[in-house]
Amino acid sequence: MITVLIQLLTAFLSSLGFSMLFGVRRRLLLPAALGGLLCWGVYLAMDAWLGREFLSCLIAAALAVVYAELHARLLKTPATLFVVPAILPLVPGGSLYYTMENAVHGRLDEARIFGQQTLIAALAIAAGISFVVALRELHTRRL
Amino acid sequence: MKLTRSEQSLLLDCLLEMGDLLLDCGAEIGRVEDTLSRMGAAYGAGKPSVFVIPSLISISMAFPGEEALTETRRIHSNGNTDFYRLEKLNALSRQCSAEPIPVPELRERLEKVAAGRKPFPVVFWGSVLGGGGFAVFFGGSIWDGLAAAVFAALICLLQQRLGKTQLGVVASNLMVSFVIGVGVGLVTKLIPALHMDKILIGDIMLLIPGLAMTNAIRNTLVGNTISGFVRLGESLIWAAALAGGFMVALVVVGLLP
Repeated sequence: MITVLIQLLTAFLSSLGFSMLFGVRRRLLLPAALGGLLCWGVYLAMDAWLGREFLSCLIAAALAVVYAELHARLLKTPATLFVVPAILPLVPGGSLYYTMENAVHGRLDEARIFGQQTLIAALAIAAGISFVVALRELHTRRL
Repeated sequence: MKLTRSEQSLLLDCLLEMGDLLLDCGAEIGRVEDTLSRMGAAYGAGKPSVFVIPSLISISMAFPGEEALTETRRIHSNGNTDFYRLEKLNALSRQCSAEPIPVPELRERLEKVAAGRKPFPVVFWGSVLGGGGFAVFFGGSIWDGLAAAVFAALICLLQQRLGKTQLGVVASNLMVSFVIGVGVGLVTKLIPALHMDKILIGDIMLLIPGLAMTNAIRNTLVGNTISGFVRLGESLIWAAALAGGFMVALVVVGLLP
């Protein structure tokens, strides 16, 4: 439980940091950073429920985009500005590092497993985002 | 409004500038194409034909009763995400699409946006918070987080310096990751309570093209195959440069007693 809380808190702080780094305006910092917390919360819940990394990652990314689109409409800004900080906690920085580290030490089997994990996460994020974006296109083009 | 021939070519120039700026602050390809054609249409060009890939913009548009104008521009951008300018560009394009402003004024507004950058102190503290936060997020202790925050500050300063040179992303990633790898390696040797992997993961988040990679796959999935592949290739090479720098650093640190 305490790890979950720490993860949620640091997901929020990290998203806040990256929002600042990417030049999000001060007034939009809080909603942008909350997106990161929300996205990671959804991922954890889905992972506990389904136990399937690809699917959990996909759903979390998709919901992050829904969150971003809603806020973008509300605050009249481009949605990317909320999408990017929100999906950051899903970015597989850890497995990318372990892929590399294992490769350096010649443990190629481990490197391959971590490499696969990295790729699966990237694919899941991209698929989740594209899914929602496609739905939105369908909706707006018809109007 | 009716544009004179010289205004039309100035408009074309403005659109190229707009696209250049949009790509430079990290806008997606589809978004750039969409914005430029919508703006062209708002100024009265029938069906502007806009083609954008990461290194090139080509616009062709014809005003009723006149010959078509075509121009291309080579783009050199490193896709450094800058929502500060992106938002301003977005507001400008919205305004122009709703009610076109005179072309010379558009030119001035674009120059103003191009000159403004996101404030450096905010970027600096953002890196510190982001790097430190992710080190703890990925399982590091609070001390790992602090160490990662210190190195994140170093990364930010290094990138700021290297950004002013003509080094390119590959070479600068290679250098930054080497310096950071050696630094973190030495510190964790001196203070064994710190975890080298967690600190490096936190700081890698600042450097990895995770976002570029995701965007690349996204571009491909929505049909911008060329741009998707170019971006994917680019981001894989950047990641390889990053890994190369860290690898050499790990080997160097491993050689030390």
